[in-house]
Amino acid sequence: MTMDLKRELKKYFGFDDFRPGQEDILKNLLANRNTLAILPTGGGKTLLYQMYGAMTHQRVIIVSPLISLMQDQVSRLQYLGSKRVVALTSALDFQEKTAILTHLNRYQFIYVSPEMLANQQVQQRLMQLQIGLFVVDEAHCISEWGPDFRPDYLKLGTVRERLGSPLTLMMTATATQPVRRNIIAHMNFSPGDIHQIVLPVNRANIFLSAKIFANQHEKDDALIELVKQLNGPGIIYFSSKSKAEQTANTLTNETDRRVMAYHGGMDSQPRFHIQQQFLAGNLDIICATSAFGMGIDKNNVRFVIHYHLPANIQSYVQEIGRCGRDRKPGLAILMYEPNDRALQMGLIDHTVPDESLLDYLYAHPKMLSTDDQFRVVKFYHDNGDSLEQAKTIFNHARTRRVKELGAMVQYVYTEKCRRDELLKYFDEAVPDGERNPSYCCDHDVDFWDRWRDFSRQYLNQPAQSSQNEAKSWQQVIDQLFLSKN
Amino acid sequence: MDLRVLMLIFGSGQQFRRVKAIKNTLRGRRTVSNLYWALEYGLLDFVDVLHGTDFGEDQLVLTQLVSSGLARADDTFRIQLTAKGIDQQQRYLNQLLPLKYLAVSSRYDVAKFMRRFSFASQIVSEFSYGNNQYYPQSINYFEDQLLKRWFVMNKHQDLPRHFQQLLRDFLGDLQPADLADVFVQSLVGHNFSGLTAEQVAVKRRTSTTVVALQWLQLYGMLLEKLMQAGKTSLFSPLVSGLAKSTVSSSAQATFKLFLQQKNHNLQAIATQRKIKLTTVYEHLLEVAIMSKTAAFPYRALISDDLMNQLLAHQPQNVGEWTFQDASQVIGQLAFFQFRLFQIYRSKMSDDDGSQA
Ligand SMILES: [Zn+2]
Repeated sequence: MTMDLKRELKKYFGFDDFRPGQEDILKNLLANRNTLAILPTGGGKTLLYQMYGAMTHQRVIIVSPLISLMQDQVSRLQYLGSKRVVALTSALDFQEKTAILTHLNRYQFIYVSPEMLANQQVQQRLMQLQIGLFVVDEAHCISEWGPDFRPDYLKLGTVRERLGSPLTLMMTATATQPVRRNIIAHMNFSPGDIHQIVLPVNRANIFLSAKIFANQHEKDDALIELVKQLNGPGIIYFSSKSKAEQTANTLTNETDRRVMAYHGGMDSQPRFHIQQQFLAGNLDIICATSAFGMGIDKNNVRFVIHYHLPANIQSYVQEIGRCGRDRKPGLAILMYEPNDRALQMGLIDHTVPDESLLDYLYAHPKMLSTDDQFRVVKFYHDNGDSLEQAKTIFNHARTRRVKELGAMVQYVYTEKCRRDELLKYFDEAVPDGERNPSYCCDHDVDFWDRWRDFSRQYLNQPAQSSQNEAKSWQQVIDQLFLSKN
Repeated sequence: MDLRVLMLIFGSGQQFRRVKAIKNTLRGRRTVSNLYWALEYGLLDFVDVLHGTDFGEDQLVLTQLVSSGLARADDTFRIQLTAKGIDQQQRYLNQLLPLKYLAVSSRYDVAKFMRRFSFASQIVSEFSYGNNQYYPQSINYFEDQLLKRWFVMNKHQDLPRHFQQLLRDFLGDLQPADLADVFVQSLVGHNFSGLTAEQVAVKRRTSTTVVALQWLQLYGMLLEKLMQAGKTSLFSPLVSGLAKSTVSSSAQATFKLFLQQKNHNLQAIATQRKIKLTTVYEHLLEVAIMSKTAAFPYRALISDDLMNQLLAHQPQNVGEWTFQDASQVIGQLAFFQFRLFQIYRSKMSDDDGSQA
């Protein structure tokens, strides 16, 4: 069996080896077992359902809450060789939606947003199709209150049953025990129905560090120094678009690195150019917003810097997971100044409505349809929950997010091993015998006085790509279109 | 886009022009008032050329232009370029193709063509290397279908050679010649990532807006070239379905009814179309502004007597004649007929000008 799967992997994707967990999960699916998979970022989640679809020639439905990323997902699947892929999201206009629904049977891989899946017309159409595998991506969103929370995720269990209870794969990069139980319950499974495959959150090749600065000015200066001298391609995360753009400009002027901003507010064409440049090695550093992922898999990212504090440890782990996917050394740096906590608190206030806003919205229910940010309140309102119940739910959500933020801040201030601190959150520990104090975190070694040495010793600077060398337009055209004669 | 750059390009040293009217012309707000000013400024060819674009704040732009000595403003938010402003205008125009290539965007969806062509180039480029593992550009569903059909139909026609030939011919003839380098950076393909407008602008020490305009012009020119190649060209599907109407469909419908009528009863048209009489006026004014002088029946809407009165009282600059002033000298004057007369006069003087 093992040999067979590897042969299939080679046949469809040209890879020699699976990433950890992939083979186990595929075996489970091929044995028709509903599966919950906790795979770290970059663990090859896409390949799982793509390969299942390729091997069984069956249709795969993928529910994902990350609408901004869905088109990128389609591209990625096409990149890996599947051409019959389509995405059903609210970004489609009426005519597109109608045309896609009419021809839905032509597609083997159908991405669908939770909102679209809640739509009766879409459900009716899907019920007419043979579905081989039902995938719930970012399954932690069923239970968590992040910015990506979609109330329609709570209906997925019912929808799945209406679609004839197809084989189901639930996937997420990080989920604590209670979250896992929650996912299973919301999908109307009993724990015994589900095979869980949980991969360790720990990525031993990523070195963990954080530093507390007195103020933003100090932080900015330190960032410039880091960017000047850290080897390798890197990503810097921000919680605002404007700061990402502003910093990209500063870094371009103050260093000789090639830096660009990359975020969801950009038009698709410049975004595509920048993504391709980063992939090809024509750009060194991307200043990105945290909520916005990348449409590409780039394996040789060497460092991830967080300029702003992430909302919680799960997000942090996901984002630093973008470095060192080639399993070579990677570096995670979190830059903190005391105002950063207030910034995150402000974001919580912005996302979770307080009691007075709830009072107002319940008294003026028409307002609920005017703004997407009220969609969560609308869900509970339309669900028949009373004002008091809604207040309890939202207060609980707020308390939980404040608590999660607290854990994130604690990670910054910890005087113990950062890896222990991070893993503790997922009830995980560094396995005995795998502890390596010389390459772990800035608690174990004097990183901040020696980070330049660290960079030289561990971080690999790729050879400069020749692609961006000045070429005449004639050369560009000859390069673009390979002539047979 | 930077509205400051656009104001310098579309501003005038002779005429005070409304910032808002120029902005609304470029982004295609077809209100009669906007179209009227576009007519007065000679900018009708540029209606909707920058459809859906975000611009800066009018007031801020005006203040910046004035404080940097590039324009003077009056108290009705109109600007006139200073000598320094004219210099700057010339510097921008020197970097662009003749503006008529921007005007192509008023009649065709050039921005859509640009995305289409760029995606087609990527498909053909990767195909020429036999590579099918690449990240395709994202494009909407119908465009995607069009490109797929086109590619499947033509992939055995040695597409790489056709693209190479097309672009060599097109780019080789360009004046200024360095625009060819600007053009190729808009493409993405095998081992070539291209550049964003912002990156091209940094390299060439110009503004991002200038690069965006250069791209629109170049693709407008390429679009015209491909349309001339005719239906049998293998590029023909790539230029299909891009035409835009210069008059809104509701105005067209009103005008059609008007032409069918014998007694010219505008109230009857309003009733039949279930619209207000004032809307009928607006539709007719829109058609008048966007049509050739001879193609619009001015005489059917302005009696000979009224026409004579208007001609007798018109000031030197009919365009800026206010309705208030006109109605003081001509009794019972209706705004609709007054505005129609202004359009008529403005068109007549344009016609004279173009014949001279
Ligand atoms: Zn440690």
